[in-house]
Amino acid sequence: MKINFTLNGKSAEIDADPMAMALDVIRDLDLTGTKEGCGVGVCGACTIMVDGEPVSSCICVVGTLQDREVWTVEGISEKMPDLIEKFIDNEGMQCGICTPGQIMAAAAISSVDITSEEDIKKYMAGNLCRCTGYQTILNAVEDYLAIN
Amino acid sequence: MPSTKTEFLAPTSIDEALQAISYEDAIFLGGGTSTALLYKTRLIEPSRVVWLGALRDLSGISISKNEIRIGSMVSMSKISQSNELSQLVPALTTAAGVIGNARVRAMATIGGALAHADPRQDVPPALIALDAVVATKSSGGSREVPLAEFYEGFLETVLAESELITEVKIPVVANRRSAYLRYTPTSEGDYPTVGVAASVTYDSNNKAIKDVRIVLCGVGQTPILATDSAQKVIEGNANPESLREAANLVKQAVDPHDDERGSADYKREMSEVFTLRALRECLA
Repeated sequence: MKINFTLNGKSAEIDADPMAMALDVIRDLDLTGTKEGCGVGVCGACTIMVDGEPVSSCICVVGTLQDREVWTVEGISEKMPDLIEKFIDNEGMQCGICTPGQIMAAAAISSVDITSEEDIKKYMAGNLCRCTGYQTILNAVEDYLAIN
Repeated sequence: MPSTKTEFLAPTSIDEALQAISYEDAIFLGGGTSTALLYKTRLIEPSRVVWLGALRDLSGISISKNEIRIGSMVSMSKISQSNELSQLVPALTTAAGVIGNARVRAMATIGGALAHADPRQDVPPALIALDAVVATKSSGGSREVPLAEFYEGFLETVLAESELITEVKIPVVANRRSAYLRYTPTSEGDYPTVGVAASVTYDSNNKAIKDVRIVLCGVGQTPILATDSAQKVIEGNANPESLREAANLVKQAVDPHDDERGSADYKREMSEVFTLRALRECLA
């Protein structure tokens, strides 16, 4: 089935099984920044942004992306260089496997009301880092929010 | 991935959706947080999936003087961030805001959550405590079912196979307070060991209590409505002793099982603790 949507700011048309998961389809487009972690919507490594909100691409049926605005970490890196810079400045990563998802979650954080450090923690809690380098990730997100 | 080809349809009207669902083992797809997982792991292999996201009629929240109406495709993130709803029905917005993680809340829909009928879900107890009614449509017509009578067992509801949840209706009741509390000893995003929704409705003078609802999740095959506990609170007009008695009585109403979130005994104890806390928060 032909599926039309906006991908990283440009209109895209793909020919895919509409029941395939968005994660696999996106990676097949050579956008391999989006990682598979748990595969069940828990860890956040595969986070993409759909209409401004974070979505687990591993449990997102690609047919549901018709006419929607989709961003992956490749597009966000170009669109929000400040955010990437804050992750680098704060060394907000260790092994790196969760990093694209952490960045996508941080990029989508404006979709909710954040009024405190606690809110940031609760929001980012959905993205797991098995190196447990949470503090530097939170520092990066807080730094980014402070300038935006 | 399932080996058989599954057809994907995205109807734009309720009539179209009802027509599309009347086909072999077709199923509805809402946000997909549960259905896509079941599909991926081959626990379901439907011949056709009818996605409801293109159906604009199901995506609104309307609030009038007497009633709140939430379309079945409204997401948990939208519910949890509605200031108007958090004033009127705080138990619901709290429950919707603690489900899973931000990604689950963005995708998961209220209709999907009700149809899924996992007894550990946070939102059903909140909605039952608020006297919510589920409105459905099918080729045979439409009906409304109180959510308190909606669940039949683990993952089972009164819904017929081709019946579509169109909206959830919640009465706006004067002098009603509500709260939802959950207890997760593991990670924030996990299902709760126990969740407790409470609502307390005062009379027009805001003095005597005329109605109480206490509903628990995670401690039975369906959400549990603890009517004896609620009666205690009414009889004692929520004096401290009545709250303690009500919380203690909850242990007889729940029917928990041992799992990784705690032993049955532990869940029974936590049901008491969190019922008391939910009632106190409701009355604070």
